[in-house]
Parts: sequence; structure tokens; C-alpha cells
Amino acid sequence: MRLGHISLSHFNSTSFRKIDQIIVLLLLNSRKPSGRYCTSLDTIRAYTILVDMYTRKRAVGHLDADCFYVSAERVRDPFLKGKPVGVLGNQGACVIAKSYEMKAAGVKTGEPIWDAVQKCPDGIYVKRDFRWYETLSRSMLEVMRRLSGHVEYYSIDEFFFVAEPGPGQSFQDLAVAMRQTILEELDLPVTVGIARSRTLAKLISDSAKPFGAKAVLEKEHEEHLLARLPVTEISGVAKRRAKRLLPWGIASCLDLAKADRGLVRKLLTATGEALWWELNGEPTGEIHSARPRHKALSRGGSLGESTADPHRLYAWLVRNLERLIEELRYHRVMPGKLTLWVGYRDGIPGEGQTRLAVPTDRFDLLLEALRPCLRRAWRPKHPANRMHLIAEDLTDRDTAQGGLFSPHDPRAEALADVKQRINERIGRFAVRSGATLPLKSIYDDGANGYDICDVRGKICF
Amino acid sequence: MASGIALALSDMPLAMHCWPEVSRRIYRRGGTEAEVRFLYDDREPVLPVMKDGKLELVRWGNGRGRSRCLPRTGWTWKATVEQGGWVGAAPGVVRIPATLALEKGIWFRVRQGVHGLLVTDEQGVESAYMICEPSSHYYRVMTRSDRMPALIEEKI
Repeated sequence: MRLGHISLSHFNSTSFRKIDQIIVLLLLNSRKPSGRYCTSLDTIRAYTILVDMYTRKRAVGHLDADCFYVSAERVRDPFLKGKPVGVLGNQGACVIAKSYEMKAAGVKTGEPIWDAVQKCPDGIYVKRDFRWYETLSRSMLEVMRRLSGHVEYYSIDEFFFVAEPGPGQSFQDLAVAMRQTILEELDLPVTVGIARSRTLAKLISDSAKPFGAKAVLEKEHEEHLLARLPVTEISGVAKRRAKRLLPWGIASCLDLAKADRGLVRKLLTATGEALWWELNGEPTGEIHSARPRHKALSRGGSLGESTADPHRLYAWLVRNLERLIEELRYHRVMPGKLTLWVGYRDGIPGEGQTRLAVPTDRFDLLLEALRPCLRRAWRPKHPANRMHLIAEDLTDRDTAQGGLFSPHDPRAEALADVKQRINERIGRFAVRSGATLPLKSIYDDGANGYDICDVRGKICF
Repeated sequence: MASGIALALSDMPLAMHCWPEVSRRIYRRGGTEAEVRFLYDDREPVLPVMKDGKLELVRWGNGRGRSRCLPRTGWTWKATVEQGGWVGAAPGVVRIPATLALEKGIWFRVRQGVHGLLVTDEQGVESAYMICEPSSHYYRVMTRSDRMPALIEEKI
């Protein structure tokens, strides 16, 4: 676990007992330049968890809702239970989630509805509703926080947690009990995996789906499981990385775990080495009970129907900018750098980037900065189908220093405040830029007013 | 415009389950609950309608030309109804209860049902026309159709 500047990877695992390593780590990491030892309660608590993990009193758990969007629809609509169901996103164009019955018919996530209908003519299609999914997701989080002292809200349907069995309870009992509690209280099927590290816990829960509950803490059992799984099952190892590993005979998760650590670092950099430690049961990351500060904020996604019309593309830019500003103001940060990325149907993207002279969250200034970005990202006559707007180099709004020539405009700032207040009170996008008029049909549909990225507090998209 | 609807079997009165025009339309898609499918392509297309608080099956439009005076279709525009296009036929607006609707091979969930227009032909036989309206953006992307059924208290 990397809690300070020195981590477990600095030790040769044979020279120290793990428990000794942790104690040494605690001391080294808490040593101040003056030579005195000083450590916070939080650090001690984190190390206590680590010690407990090595002494098998605690482990890492991963809970993942089974086909979450479909299950959420089934909670309020029991008619859908046991039937092939697909949840549609991208304004009705694609299947963004499917039930196991639909999966059995060969339908894949992200597949256009027209292909899905060919494969599964009996499928029932429902419109996505992220407000409802968030309600259930937060209910799951509440239950999880009752069952574990440390829960990480990883994504809308995934949680990592510190698994602490009660008296007389095994890790396996705990996994089963958690699965059962969520089912009884929320009517949601979930799968729980418990292991020595996050990566192992996720691999275990992924392989135990659907409605599984499995605790694997013995090395033998871990190896048996890892041997069956290709490296691409590890989140963080996609096709390109797997291709790099293959010439070295590394195809399964076990091959990766058994490979030389130095070689893995050379092939997959430090991130890959962290995975190596994790696969060998050494946790490299802590469970974040609260979301760490954002390094970047972004808004965007599919444009639904692709468009080559520059006015429509500009309208999308304005829409995404208004959504981004809403998020910047919520987190009380201002960007120093903006990137506009536009995806085109032929697969060749366009990109424009700008650095702001002074960080700001004002609509007029940001739009002015983004116009040249759109000109650079725009490929005339090529239909665009995706757009992302990314804000980086975020500075705290309350402590940000204005530049010598920072354009202070009380009128524009007052206007931004009024716009924010009206939208908070009346409803999102009640007041919006006139430049978004070409997207009337998008605004007419309330479902487009709330997206997965609007669910706050989770670590992952 | 929807070319079919399905109603959960449990939403039909028990006494109707054994009616031949119901039992031959029962379909099991999976799960515990069966549905009754009403398709316009059927040899005898019918629609379930709520009339005076009772569920009844009536002829779906006049696609088979059984009436000489009614239009040979199964749908009518909401605007036509609102502009009085059916006044001569003494129409009544009815509720067509539905659990699912079908458009170009795509079955989608419907919360309550579809608005319908009930008219009587020259022989005194009732026909129900499904009321439709211009498609919403989502519906047009999903089905590639310019017309969508006028859903009851629901916007998709």
C-alpha cells in the first residue's frame, strides 16, 4: 500500500516478514526531515488496516451489481424479470446495457439497436434513466457503508470495501451475507468477491458473475483462478498491453503474476508493476472512502445523430461548455487548460487545445477561448458523432489569484450567478445560451438532462 | 406508428384468458409473466380497449376492408382527430392498454398504453384506430420511424 514516499515494493519480500515491513514503512514514511517521527491518526488507521490484511483479519472486497441498469429497471418493473432486456443510450441508437438473457442471444454492449434486434428479436428495449440508477446506486452505497467501515464508491454499480468478518464469520460468509442484504433490501442482484488485493477481488467477482459470492484468500486457490483468466481480464490490461506481453509467454493472469517483476515494469511501466504486486496479493492502493480531488473535469459524449453542420457542432460545444461550467462551479475550481476533442464517423478525430492566460469559469471567456479550438478540431464535410470537452490544470476558485490583466467584469459575473441560481431552482438548462437552439430536440427530452457523468462522488466514470 | 402491442396476461381479466382470440395470442418471452400479442398483421387484427371501465377486444381499424365507409388503415393522426376529421363517424377516444409496443421489429416498454379512437361502421361493428403523432427525437433514432403512437401520460 503506497501511503508515503516509500512503498512495499522497496523491500525484497524474502528479507522481511510482511508485518515487519509494514511497521518499518510506517516509521520511514512518518519521519520528518528533522529526524523526528510524526504521523497522523489517518495514517495509523490506514496502516492498521494493512496490518490486519496481512494477518487475515481484513481483506479487500469488490461488489458489482449484475447488469445494473437492467436490474434497476426490473426493480420498478417486475414484468421485465427473466426477459431479454436492453437499455438504450445514445438517444436510442445503442444498447448500453443488456440482461443476461439478451447477452445469451449474442447482443453486445455498445451494439447499434438494429444489429441487436436481428440477434434478439424478442428483446424488450427501455430508455435509460440515470436519475433512477443514481437513486439505487446511492441506496447501495448506504447499505455498503452499514456493512463495512471503509467503502469506495468506485462507479455507479461497483464498490470496493474493506472486508471485516464479524465474530465467528468467515470471509465467505461475509460475501454471501452482503449479497443477500442488497438483494433483500433493494431487490438488486450483485456479485461479491473478497481477496487480498483490489485487483484480485475484482477478478474474483468478475469470474463469479452473475449473483456470485466468493472469497479467495489462499494462494493455491488464487493461482487456480488466475491460471484460467487471460491477462485482458485485468482492468488496466487491454489488447495493446496484452500484445506486448505475449512474446514473453505471458498470456494468463497467473503468467503475469509469476513473471519477473523487472520485466513487467519494463513492458508495462510502473502501472503494470503495481498490477504485478496486486496479483501477488500485495495491495498497492488504498480504499478511498471519499473521492480524491479531481485532476480534470470533462463533459461530452455521443452526439446521437452524426452531423457535419458547423452550427449544430457549435451548439454541441456550447451545451457541453454549459455542463462543464456547472461542474466547475460545483467543485469551486477553474481550469487553466481546455481541450476540445471531436470524434468523426470515419474514425479520424480532431482536437483543439488552449491554455488560458488566467483561470476562469466564466461562460463568455471560456467560449471565446474554445472557438479557435473548434476551428482546429473541425473537419469540414465530415460527419462528427462524438465530442468531449476537458478542463485541466484546475485551481481552487476561492484561492485563485487573478492576473494583472484579468478581465474583471461584475456584470458578466452577476449574470453567471443568476443563471446558476435559476437553473438550480427551476431546473437544469432552464436558462441556456441561444446558441443551443439547433439542439431543441435534445433539450425537449428530459432524459438527456442527466448523464452518467452527472452522478457525483464516484471514482471512476 | 406501432404495428403491434402486447399486454401482460395478468392485466387481462381471468375470464378472457380462455377466449380463443386471446389464448391463440398468448406468447412467452421468458420470465414468469406471459403476454398477449395484438399484431396488425394478424389475420383478424384486434385491439384491447377500455370501454366503460371494461376491457374489450375490438377490430383494429379497417385494414382488411370489412367496412366500406371507414378508412382502410389502423392509425390516425392526433392532429386529424383534434381538427375534427372524424366528427362524422361519432368517434370516442379510448384507452388501449399496453405493456409493450412494436415498431419495425423493436419491442419497447409502454407504461400505461396508447390513445385510441373508437368508431362504429355502417354495420354497427366497432373499430379502434391507434392515434399517432410525429416521432420524438429518441423514438425516431430508435425506430427510424416518423410517426409514433400517442402514449398515455408518457413521453419517450
